[in-house]
Amino acid sequence: MNQNSEAAGPPTVEITVAGKSIQAREGETIIHALWQAGLGYEIQTGCVGGVCGACTVTLRFKDGRRGGTDLACLRPVEEGMEVFPFPVDALAGPPPISDPDEDKLRATFPTVDRCTKCDNCTIACPMDIPVMDSVLRMQKGQLEAVAEDFTTCIHCGLCRAVCEDKVLPHTMGIWVRRSLGLSVDHPALDQTQETTMSDKEELEWEHLLNCDDEERLLRAKAFRKEGTIA
Amino acid sequence: MMDWAKASLDKVEQTRAQRSGQSAPAISDDDAQNLIKEYHPDYVGSERKIHIGPNADSDAFPMELADLLESDSPVPKDFQPNADIETDVLIIGGGGAGVTAALGLADSGLQVHLATKLRLGDANTVMAEGGIQAALGVDDSTRRHFADSYVGGHGKNDTGLLRHLCEEGPAGIRWLTHLGTLFDQNDDGSFRFRKGGGTSTPRVLACRDYTGLEIMRVLKSAVMSSATHVLEHHAVVELTDDGKDRVTGAVLWNTQTGQLITVSARAVILATGGSGQLRLQGYPTSNHLGATGDGLILAYRQGCSLVFPGSHQYHPSGSSFPEALVGQLVTESIRSAGAQILNVNGERFIDEMTFRDVVAAGIIREVMEGRGVETPTGRRGVWLDTPLIEQTKGEGTLAHQFPGLIHRFKRYGIDPATQPLLIYPTLHYQNGGIRIDAECRTERTGLWAAGEVTGGIHGTNRLMGNSLLDIIVFGRRVSESVRHNCPERGAVTLTRLSQYRDALSGLPHKPEATAPQLYPPVSGMKFELKGMPTPEVGADASPDDVKSYEPPDPFASR
Repeated sequence: MNQNSEAAGPPTVEITVAGKSIQAREGETIIHALWQAGLGYEIQTGCVGGVCGACTVTLRFKDGRRGGTDLACLRPVEEGMEVFPFPVDALAGPPPISDPDEDKLRATFPTVDRCTKCDNCTIACPMDIPVMDSVLRMQKGQLEAVAEDFTTCIHCGLCRAVCEDKVLPHTMGIWVRRSLGLSVDHPALDQTQETTMSDKEELEWEHLLNCDDEERLLRAKAFRKEGTIA
Repeated sequence: MMDWAKASLDKVEQTRAQRSGQSAPAISDDDAQNLIKEYHPDYVGSERKIHIGPNADSDAFPMELADLLESDSPVPKDFQPNADIETDVLIIGGGGAGVTAALGLADSGLQVHLATKLRLGDANTVMAEGGIQAALGVDDSTRRHFADSYVGGHGKNDTGLLRHLCEEGPAGIRWLTHLGTLFDQNDDGSFRFRKGGGTSTPRVLACRDYTGLEIMRVLKSAVMSSATHVLEHHAVVELTDDGKDRVTGAVLWNTQTGQLITVSARAVILATGGSGQLRLQGYPTSNHLGATGDGLILAYRQGCSLVFPGSHQYHPSGSSFPEALVGQLVTESIRSAGAQILNVNGERFIDEMTFRDVVAAGIIREVMEGRGVETPTGRRGVWLDTPLIEQTKGEGTLAHQFPGLIHRFKRYGIDPATQPLLIYPTLHYQNGGIRIDAECRTERTGLWAAGEVTGGIHGTNRLMGNSLLDIIVFGRRVSESVRHNCPERGAVTLTRLSQYRDALSGLPHKPEATAPQLYPPVSGMKFELKGMPTPEVGADASPDDVKSYEPPDPFASR
């Protein structure tokens, strides 16, 4: 974003952010437009890359198109767009449980059955997660599929904020993922708790460490080729 | 969408069949070194020495960082630190390293406060895509991991720190899985390893192209149900000392109320991360809003030296089009999966899977010698042939393995499954940083550091997947060290700052801005005191101090 002279700049559009009217360059995001206008503090911002979920906003269009919710760091500006900061506080969820199933989920989140299928959560999700369908999968105990659904969840909290029935979709999503995650056996990790070092290991470390820097670089290069002392 | 590049894209299409399955252009060690020396941004002479502090008149610093190190503090000269909060441990930074340290201290009996400038988890960790290394594969070993990282770091790595990184990698992964982290698996349930640039065997664990997100959301979820006191929207603007050489707390700036508060702590852990938002030499960055090197400035004022302060990583594949995505990361694993890098003529010119600094230098050379592609806004880049993956690995591969990539570009009418992406190096990682020992102690008693803010582990070039491992391994190590060596409480003064200010007044020129910078200048956001006497600072405050207009809720029926 260099401060190019305005003379031959790209075409501009007018948008409103928190009631303030600003000129924005076509093709830039809401956040970049705010920076340019000196109004960066109007919308809480984090990663500027669409994965932290800080810059949640609601949108409205003059022509009556459906506005809804989005991330200001990913949303390109449009003529006449009205933007409202819509920060959603994070929520500490219940701790995960090993070997989760339908009953454990229901005991942890009695609200799961409250869903009235309004689909607000799915519409609100900036990551295109089928949130409501996934809540229905939670009711049926299809937890592997739920974990897959929430692979891309950034925990912006929008699905929770717009839920009329206080169902906590993404809070359940990470609970399912963590609960499944800590229940998986990883044979590859079982050996990692050994505390004694084999002779081969000791020899290899000796070989890589007990020499001067120049020699070490040569030895490391050779070691990479064979995966052991050449 | 990309009609302006049609001629060049046609060549990419025409050469695809012939390039498919072809081995990468070979480059000798010597040629690679020369390429870096000539074209890598670390070596183009955009540096200077500084004349104050532990590294005075020795190392060369990037201009932008040098200016900040020779800048005054934003803390008013008449500010008297009085402990508003007393705690045992103050962790500064809410990314992966800080949160791992907090979790490591959760059952220590020590009271822990974690202060973060943005929100908990809004950090470079959450943006990491490609993966995390750990020597868990069948043909792999911790020594092989060491050798790869050491060669990648040009043999400049601190061997003691690097050995810890590699040896404690598997235990770090075990810890993450116990917290409930899900890594990609093969059909038989074993871990699925990817190759990274410069790994001699597949060693990178991933969660699609959202590995950092997966790790950060698990860490965040875990720490939120711990006893850690999290102070969001609190930026550190100064460290306090006991009047001698011990760090005893910090002065924090509440970014929402504009007020300063002082924290007295027996131990301070700096986990403030990197400095990509300094946008060295005008490069775009893949980093989050707050990556302005704050921790470097503060530790330096306390007398901590910096190692390899001039070494930064320019990730070879930053997005160069569309304009809204400029600088954003296109994960290295896309090259690991087979995407080739091509010039304007559809020709390969660099081994896509060699070390990052070599690939970045190769791209810069190609563009400087006129074989790049120019966008309508005047940016330049080279092609990353993503459709090739769909052709060689089957349709739908990108959507399944790289959902983040697809999602990000879709908004701009670009489908990486059918459309090559334009890339150019982007400022990605701070290789150097605060000097630490194996227990993450800095050169000042009472001050520890972990994560990207530290230097030495990665030498002068880091391998893919070693930064996520770094924050886990050293986040755990720092918590162990603090748990067993937490000093008694000391006096809270700004003696070091006064001494630094005295030294600054002896410099021939004085930068006007204050440091830490806290936000990138491009954002227009800056330090500003409110609700207390403000001599000089913030004199040009804008008249926009009005409350935000409250919006109607589009889902108002609830």
